[in-house]
Amino acid sequence: MPLLEVCDLEAGYGPIRAVQGVSLDVIEGEIVAIIGANGAGKTTLLLAISGVVATRKGTVRFMGQSITGMPSHEIVRLGIGHAPEGRRIFPRLSVRENLELGAFCRTDRGAIVRDIEEICSLFPVLGQRMSQMGGTLSGGEQQMLALGRAMLSRPKLLLLDEPSLGLAPIVVSKIFEVIAGFTARGIAVVLVEQNARAALKLASRGWVLETGRVSLFANAETLASDPRVRDAYLGDA
Amino acid sequence: MSNSGELSQRQQAWVLIKDHWDVSALLVLAIAPLGVPALGGALGGQFTTLFIYSILALGLNVMVGYTGLVHLGIAAFFGIGAYVTGILTVPMYPFQIGFLGAAIASIVVAAGIGLALGAPTLRLRGDYLAIVTLGFGEVVKVTLRNLEQITGGMKGLNPVPPPGAGVKLGGLDVGLSFAIDPRWFYYLSLGILAIVVIAMRRLENSRLGRAWMAVREDELAATAMGISATRVKLSAFAMSSAIAGLAGSLYAASLSTTADPNAYDFNRSIMVLCAVILGGLGSIPGTLLGVGILVGFDTVLAPWADSWIQQLDINPTGSSMLSFSGWRLAIFGVALVLVMRLRPEGLVPSRRVAAELHREEEHAAITKGF
Repeated sequence: MPLLEVCDLEAGYGPIRAVQGVSLDVIEGEIVAIIGANGAGKTTLLLAISGVVATRKGTVRFMGQSITGMPSHEIVRLGIGHAPEGRRIFPRLSVRENLELGAFCRTDRGAIVRDIEEICSLFPVLGQRMSQMGGTLSGGEQQMLALGRAMLSRPKLLLLDEPSLGLAPIVVSKIFEVIAGFTARGIAVVLVEQNARAALKLASRGWVLETGRVSLFANAETLASDPRVRDAYLGDA
Repeated sequence: MSNSGELSQRQQAWVLIKDHWDVSALLVLAIAPLGVPALGGALGGQFTTLFIYSILALGLNVMVGYTGLVHLGIAAFFGIGAYVTGILTVPMYPFQIGFLGAAIASIVVAAGIGLALGAPTLRLRGDYLAIVTLGFGEVVKVTLRNLEQITGGMKGLNPVPPPGAGVKLGGLDVGLSFAIDPRWFYYLSLGILAIVVIAMRRLENSRLGRAWMAVREDELAATAMGISATRVKLSAFAMSSAIAGLAGSLYAASLSTTADPNAYDFNRSIMVLCAVILGGLGSIPGTLLGVGILVGFDTVLAPWADSWIQQLDINPTGSSMLSFSGWRLAIFGVALVLVMRLRPEGLVPSRRVAAELHREEEHAAITKGF
C-alpha cells in the first residue's frame, strides 16, 4: 500500500484550474520529484495535498485513510509536513521559536528538545543563532530553518516546495544532501523543483507537470535521459 | 576611582529598575496614595480611569499587537461590558447581582459577541477587517442609543452601585467606602490591571501566544505547522473582547453610571489604538506607557493644566483655543506623526518589531565596520 495516493486531483483558485486531474503515489521512505515550468501547478498540487487549497475533484489518501477535504492542521497531525515555497519562516520570531512552532502539534516536550538539538547538529549554523530573529538569517540559513522546522512535526511524508530557490550553489548542495538523508530517517519526500537535474538525481521516480496535467511519469533515471525532459527542463544542448 | 564606582552603582540601580520596571511601577503606584493626598480626591479617580484604559489597551494589544489583526472598534466591547454591568446591577432591573457577578457576565457576554462578530469576518484581512470592526463599533453605539427601553438611551443606566454594596466587613460598609473614597477604586483597578499584566505575560510565552504570533507573521506557514488559523484568530478576537468587557465593567462601576453611548464611540477606539501603536505593538510596557501618555494627557494633565490656566485668569471668554483640552487632538496627531517618523516601532518596542524595522540600519552599521 502506498503511503500517499493522489487520484485524479483537481484544484485551483476561482476560475483558474491550476491542477487538472493529477494522479501520483508515494511509497514509504521514497523520494519522488515533480518537475515542470512556472505555472504548471506544482505548488498548487502540494497545497491541495496538505489541505491549504481546497480539492475540487479527486481523492487524496494517506496511509490508507482518505484525507480529501480535511482541514490542513489535522493533516499535519497525521504526518504530512509541508515546507512551503519561499521558505516562509516567521521573520519576527527567534530561530528557537520557529523550530518550536514546527513541533506545534506535538506534546512530548522532552522529545521536542532532543529533536531540536538534533536539528542543530544537522545544521550547526542554526545552533549558533538560536536567539536570533528568523528574518535576520541569510537565505540559505532560512531554508535550513524551514527544513528543520518541517522536520520537527516528525512527518512520515514531507512536501518540499522549491527548497533550492534563490540559493548559492554551495548551499543548494548542502540542502540536497540533507534531503537525501531523509530516506534514512524513514521520511518520504515529494520534491518540487526547478532544479530538475538535482531533483531527479535524488528521486526514485518523477512526474512532469504541464499546465496542470501529468505529461510524463517514469523512473527518475528514465526521465533524466528522456529527450523531451532534457530539452525542456535540463537545458542540455 | 570612587567616582566611577559610584556611577556604576547608580547604573546598577537603574538597570535593576529597568529590569523590574513592573514591580517598581506597581510599588510606586501602590504606595503613592499614602504620600499624595490628592489621590484621595479627583486625582485618584483620574488614575483609576488611567488603569482601566490600560486594561482596555492590553486587551486590544492581543488582537492588534500579537495577532496582527486591525481592530477599530474596541470601544464597542468596552461599552458592552459597561452596559451588561449596568443592566445586571442598576435598581431599575430585578437582577441586581452585584459587581463581581456582573463583571464576570460582562467578560462572558463581550467574549461571546466578539466570537459572533469574528466567526463570519475572520476571512477578511487588513483593511477589510478594519472596516468591519469600525462599522460594528458604530452599530453598537447607535443600538445602545436607540434601545431606550433597555439602555436608557442618552441618559445611560444609573446608578451602578459600587462593588461590595451592602457588604459589611468588620463594621465597615465596603460599598459606602468605594463610593466615598476614590482610593478604593484606585486599588481595585490597579489590582485588576496587575492581574491582567501577569496574565498577558504568561500568554505571550504560551502555546496560544506563539500561535497568535505565528499567524501574524505568516498565516500559510502557521497552517503548515498544524495551527488552525481560524481558531487562533477567533481566540484572539474573544480574548480582546473579554478583556475590553472587563475594563468596561470596571469603568461603569467606577463612574457609577454607564455614561451615555457616546462614551464608546470611534474616538475612544482610536485613542486606545493610538496608545498601543505609540507605545509599541505587541509590547506590554509599551502599551502601558502609550496609555500613560495619551490617556494620561487627556484625563490627568489636560484638566490640571486647564484649571491652572483658569486660575491665571488669562482666558476670561473661555475660548477653547486657550485651553489644553481644546488642543488635545492636535497634540495627539503631532505626537503620533513624530513617533511614526522617528521611532516607528513605538516607544518601548517588543524586541521583535525593533529587529524588523531597524534591520537595514543594523546592516548599514555592520558594513561600516561599526
